Amino acid sequence: GVFAHLEMLEARAREADLKQTAMEQRKEQLARLEARVQELRQQRDELRAKVELQEQGAEKEGVMSDPAQHSAQAVLEWKIRKVKSTLQVFYLTGISGKLSKQGVCFCISTAYEGTYLDSYYLNLLTEPQVRIHRHSIPVFIPLEQIAKKYLQTDIRRFLSILSDHLNAYVGRRYQADQLQEHFSDRIEGTMQRNSLCNLLVFNYNPSSKSKTFPFNARLLYGDLCCSLPTEVVVSCAPAAPAALAETAAAHSDLFRRLALHKAFGSFGSARECVD
Amino acid sequence: MDSSLCQAYKDEIQSLEEEIRLLAEKYEDNQQESISFSDEEILMSINSFQKEFQKQSGGHEFPSDLKAQLESLETDLSFLMKFTGIQFTSHSKKTMEKTRNRTVQKHRLSGNCHSLSFELEFQLLETQTKDSVSAVITDLSIMMESGEDSDLSKFVSSTEEHGNLLTFFRSLSSYAEWHEHRRCTFLHFK
Repeated sequence: GVFAHLEMLEARAREADLKQTAMEQRKEQLARLEARVQELRQQRDELRAKVELQEQGAEKEGVMSDPAQHSAQAVLEWKIRKVKSTLQVFYLTGISGKLSKQGVCFCISTAYEGTYLDSYYLNLLTEPQVRIHRHSIPVFIPLEQIAKKYLQTDIRRFLSILSDHLNAYVGRRYQADQLQEHFSDRIEGTMQRNSLCNLLVFNYNPSSKSKTFPFNARLLYGDLCCSLPTEVVVSCAPAAPAALAETAAAHSDLFRRLALHKAFGSFGSARECVD
Repeated sequence: MDSSLCQAYKDEIQSLEEEIRLLAEKYEDNQQESISFSDEEILMSINSFQKEFQKQSGGHEFPSDLKAQLESLETDLSFLMKFTGIQFTSHSKKTMEKTRNRTVQKHRLSGNCHSLSFELEFQLLETQTKDSVSAVITDLSIMMESGEDSDLSKFVSSTEEHGNLLTFFRSLSSYAEWHEHRRCTFLHFK
């Protein structure tokens, strides 16, 4: 009766109270966010003006900065950044590194034409003899063989040959990846390859419009320091027409001379269907 | 209506913070790339920096961190130049484009490898993907005195065409050594 009614009124009042508080909180939050946006907008505008001023000033070439304007700390920091930046350029040359207390940590970088790919590190200790402490060279690269031959007598040669192996491996892998990525419609399924990427086998059609893959290609890269194959066999079904056999021979020659993804690129997109 | 306004503010805050971060980096880069200090000025700064902090902190070690850092970096650099035979005599770079995922810098580099000197210009595009940074060279231009040597000039133009900066340096090392050896041999017979 009365009590139930009173409870209901109390509940309603509490609800209204809560709603009121929530609304006020939301208002406060919006106000805070708005203030923050204004603050950041101003900061951004000031920075923009600063940078514009810089870039206008830079149009006058050869303006040397007055060293008295910069604190000794700022000058040092500038120099540190400069040296770091030159060290980064060494990364682009293929051999870079850092001295450590017990030796050197070399970094061998790899690239295919203008694209830099994986880099590998090699931690060498120099006392009592030069030896390999730690490295990230993949297991299928003949590191021990190369080290046995050159590490003690000619470190430069050792690194150079190791770099040849790594660059060639990465180059072969890059070609296979590019082929799989950009010409997947001309290859049947996924091509077969080993971890060293020196044996590739796949069925393909130079034309992208067909559903059959009349050619089988087997590429063997006998020279581990080379990213072009030493042996190419392109075959088609024994009952196939002579024209197909001629094409197979032509492709066999092509794959020996041109990088795989570039060879496929040369097939063009508007070829007659090879059925 | 309320909550969408709230979200709009939050989105704008995020994009403004990003923009501010990029602008601040751009300002730093521009500063770094436009000013230049001579070796003497740097030496003077190292000395005055040490004195400043020795006064303030009563001879504490830690502020010399910057000096130690610089020394360690310079030791690494001089080791690499000696080891590879590649000496860089000047290097300048200019940031052409910088967004959250992409940086394009134009580099000018000159130096020599034994007696062969070179001057390079190239653009370096660095793209940030979720796991790593990829680097691609474009617009490579190589200037080398290759006068009598047609093989060398053929090599240089083919390298330029494909942006093969890495191959250029690796081949330069071995070619320069051979060239030096040949030069010494000729001098010996004169």
